[in-house]
Amino acid sequence: MGTKDKYAIVGVGYTPQGSVRGRTTLSFHLEACANAIEDAGLTGKDIDGLICYRHFPAATGEPDVTPYLVAQYLGLDPAHLSQDAN
Amino acid sequence: MLDAGLCNYVLVSYGHNGRSSDSFLRMMADMGGDDQVFGHFGAASCYALAARRAMHTFRTGPETWKHIAVGQRKWANLNPRAMFQRQPMSLDDYYNSRMTVEPFRLFDNCLISDGGRAYIVTSAERARDLRHPPVLIMGTGQHNPASDLQTADFMTGSTGAKKAAERAFAVAGIGLGDIDACEIYDCFTYTVEITLQDYGFFGPGEGEEWFKGGTIEPGGRMPVNTSGGLLSEAYFMGLTPLTEAVMQLMGRCGERQLGPQTNTRTPQIILCSDNGGILQTHACHILRRA
Repeated sequence: MGTKDKYAIVGVGYTPQGSVRGRTTLSFHLEACANAIEDAGLTGKDIDGLICYRHFPAATGEPDVTPYLVAQYLGLDPAHLSQDAN
Repeated sequence: MLDAGLCNYVLVSYGHNGRSSDSFLRMMADMGGDDQVFGHFGAASCYALAARRAMHTFRTGPETWKHIAVGQRKWANLNPRAMFQRQPMSLDDYYNSRMTVEPFRLFDNCLISDGGRAYIVTSAERARDLRHPPVLIMGTGQHNPASDLQTADFMTGSTGAKKAAERAFAVAGIGLGDIDACEIYDCFTYTVEITLQDYGFFGPGEGEEWFKGGTIEPGGRMPVNTSGGLLSEAYFMGLTPLTEAVMQLMGRCGERQLGPQTNTRTPQIILCSDNGGILQTHACHILRRA
């Protein structure tokens, strides 16, 4: 029961949303992440943990999005990666 | 990651081109077995089964769910990001929307969206020096009754919501009466009802009475899904409700901001949920303004 008020959410990243044609799933991850980092007033160097939320199967011709892929494309170097289950 | 001292800033990410790609089609194509032959496949038919069972077990149905669909749409109408911002929904519109999988009408179903959402978690100390007022995590709890729906005894409650919330409230050291608003994972209208019921806002069959009269709408006594939610804003899994709670507590929600301008309580504490599978996993979070 020791975690009360110990941690905080400090930034949120949005992207265009709704019907947004011609975009890959990965591109939405990257834009949301970049915007969240900026919103918090941080830089990519600060991010040392990355969790990709539970997700759906990839579309034809697209890679399954893993936190490793998101980190690679964003130029992040997190110490810990995690993939949530669906 | 944070509590173990492994990380200082954790980024949580979601993205999907679900609306414009063949991702869902591929998911459906991968499903097999006899159920599919009889039209029983995908999340909608499974949640419909749970909702139908609930109609048998206690008093619920479209008379309850219409208040959820219409109430959330009123919030979406105030949200410039919402896919349904410009389309109001009346009770007649709800009843006139086509049946998708009985007992669900179209407007009982969540949206399918292109887009993404992300947020960052850090320690309360580090949060103090950053740009926005931090939103503290008071308590969090999970419960995952992970059996197949066909053998489940949780379709009509208790779902994982009950124990998850008990744990979250125990950590937070508060009660239901301290909650100012809720951001609830709403893949279907019924999901909102069963989640709030398991959280203890009302008893089985009392949902219609609790929801009616604009309880969850702008001006209501317990605002729910103030972005429009998955039903009327956009579908980003548990990040639609969670990030909306954060933005509300930071006071960054513009026209839909909870407080005097929407004739609601200025929020100090917001209760959030996410569930996965067909009610097989549940996470509950209690967030507060610093």
